[in-house]
Amino acid sequence: MYRLFLAIRYLLTRPINLLGMAGITLSVWALIVVVSLFSGFLAVVERHVHEAGADIVVSALPAWTRWSTLAPALADDPNVAATAPRLLHYGLLLRPGHRPPPAPLPGRGALHGGDQPFLFLMGIDAAQEAQVTGFAAWVRDAEIPAELRAADVAAPLAMRDGVPTVLIGLERMQREGLRPGDAVLLTTARLVEDEAGQKHPSKVQVPLRVAGAYKTAHSGFDGNNVFVDIAVLRQHLHDNRTEFVQEVAVRAHDATTLADTADRLQRALTRVTERNNTSYGVVQTWREKNAQFLGSVQHQRGLLKIVLVVIMVVAAFLMLATLSMMVTEKISDIGILTAMGGTPTGVTMVFLACGLVITFVGVLVGTVTGIVTAVYLEEVRQAVRWATGIDLFPVDVYNLARVPCTIDPLWLLQVAGMAMATGFVVSALPVLRAARHDPLVSLRGI
Amino acid sequence: MNAPVLQAAAVHKHYRIGKQEIPVLRGIDLSVQPGESVALLGASGAGKSTLLHVLGLLDPPTTGEVRYDGVPVHGLPIGERARLRHRHVGFVFQFYHLIPELTALQNVLLARMMAVSALGYWGQRKAAKAAAIAMLEQVGLGARLHHRPSELSGGERQRVAIARALLAEPRVILADEPTGNLDSHTAAGVVELMFGIQRDRGLALVLVTHDERLAQRCHRIVRLADGVVVS
Repeated sequence: MYRLFLAIRYLLTRPINLLGMAGITLSVWALIVVVSLFSGFLAVVERHVHEAGADIVVSALPAWTRWSTLAPALADDPNVAATAPRLLHYGLLLRPGHRPPPAPLPGRGALHGGDQPFLFLMGIDAAQEAQVTGFAAWVRDAEIPAELRAADVAAPLAMRDGVPTVLIGLERMQREGLRPGDAVLLTTARLVEDEAGQKHPSKVQVPLRVAGAYKTAHSGFDGNNVFVDIAVLRQHLHDNRTEFVQEVAVRAHDATTLADTADRLQRALTRVTERNNTSYGVVQTWREKNAQFLGSVQHQRGLLKIVLVVIMVVAAFLMLATLSMMVTEKISDIGILTAMGGTPTGVTMVFLACGLVITFVGVLVGTVTGIVTAVYLEEVRQAVRWATGIDLFPVDVYNLARVPCTIDPLWLLQVAGMAMATGFVVSALPVLRAARHDPLVSLRGI
Repeated sequence: MNAPVLQAAAVHKHYRIGKQEIPVLRGIDLSVQPGESVALLGASGAGKSTLLHVLGLLDPPTTGEVRYDGVPVHGLPIGERARLRHRHVGFVFQFYHLIPELTALQNVLLARMMAVSALGYWGQRKAAKAAAIAMLEQVGLGARLHHRPSELSGGERQRVAIARALLAEPRVILADEPTGNLDSHTAAGVVELMFGIQRDRGLALVLVTHDERLAQRCHRIVRLADGVVVS
């Protein structure tokens, strides 16, 4: 009993110990708030990326793949709800007579997109695509102004005045001042074989009309992708081969078992595409397909954790300094406490108790304030913006309605455990010094 | 006849400084009966305080035995020795050794907290507080319960130290020059108090002092010189 009692009395009479406590509190608070924010951001990004694509994508299909053979093979899987064929190309989309703007600096456009002239051309069957992705909702998004909306949202890629149409991301439409019905020229290329059997790239230009705008939650996708009818690309780039397909989007009944489903689909794909004992094509879940992008966000979160742990290290040194000062000051008490019936080692545990009390209170306060701050982060952001005009987290840049936050109980336990372990180690160091002190030295008044 | 409450038999104590061994106690024999007061008298360096520390289980003898109620105690495990020290002896020192962060009452209460867990103390906290207040009232500090050591005079501090030594109800008081830091008037008051409590409670008292007149108040005087009992 005396250890805890003395530890608390020692601490209460030495306000300098609050510095160590404040350091622990700050580090725990920062680790909880920042990591919860980043976890929330990651969760939102994952949701946006998932919503902008299919559950599973079958890609890298060989040239001999026939849609009429592949589609039933995939549909046989019990978890496949729908499939849709796609063709993928690169190209430039310009108004007739316009020149493309210079390419931006490397590294930009990954998250937001839309600021570089090259685009992914996605040839789709609008009706089938609507079965596997949120395509139908993308063309009806409430943020699309009426004047930029496709004339017929039920068939957004329908011909306009006998000319094929293209759906463009909302931001790109607005930035380039395009309107539905505007004429644009798609410039792309295909490989053609000469008389000697050599393959060369050949320019292909397709006049199109703007169908209207679409908007997903993933602005990076919107900026870099345009949709055209799959028949148009087959006609101009694949000699009108109606069975030709390069990619298949798949929607699953149960999105929690995508990895298993992808494995089964990979086996089914092999049966369809195998030639000369070589299998072709790749089946990926949406998470695998975007692994690099999602991994980079996770990597940033990991780096932030390391940076924030430095705060804890600084707090630990602060605590070590204040505890060492206290041990130097109070080491003489070891003598009388031993005379009163304590063991010399047991008496030194008073100082360990001091460190543990500091750590425990710091962790408790840091955890509670961290959770409260994380939960009310949006309100905190608005309060700071109202008071200072500074926006700590501009949500519209990331296409968010409010500051995201995901509190992971496991992370809370990890932070608290790490702080407690740090506090224990830091407290034990001055205790080791105290344990070497001879209690008789204090009693003799030397 | 009962066994002595405290006994030293052929106690030797040497300290090693570098390669040199310095004898401080050389074959001390001493028996203290219950209710007896014994003064250890001698010049500085005679070994009085060292003998007190050996008797109080704070310092082990190099050779020889210390017995409580006839039982050898220095061979016991360290935790057992600490518990025995708490139950059997109460120390009063020249420099009081009060904890400055605690009030007089808390300093005394600390003696009760030493041997019990937090849960155990919680169950007896009211009784412990009442006993501590009664003890402080007995030493004349009923009005200074909540004063810290820095707010007390030297005499008052020593009274708090005496109350602290007595709260665990020991059978022996080991006092190391308890008046050495007090003026003669204050010292007289502390001495009266100490001997009064010793007499009333039937405690054994071992008193280390330089003061011949103080020593004369004890039942017996043991004179030490160079670590040996000379009379």
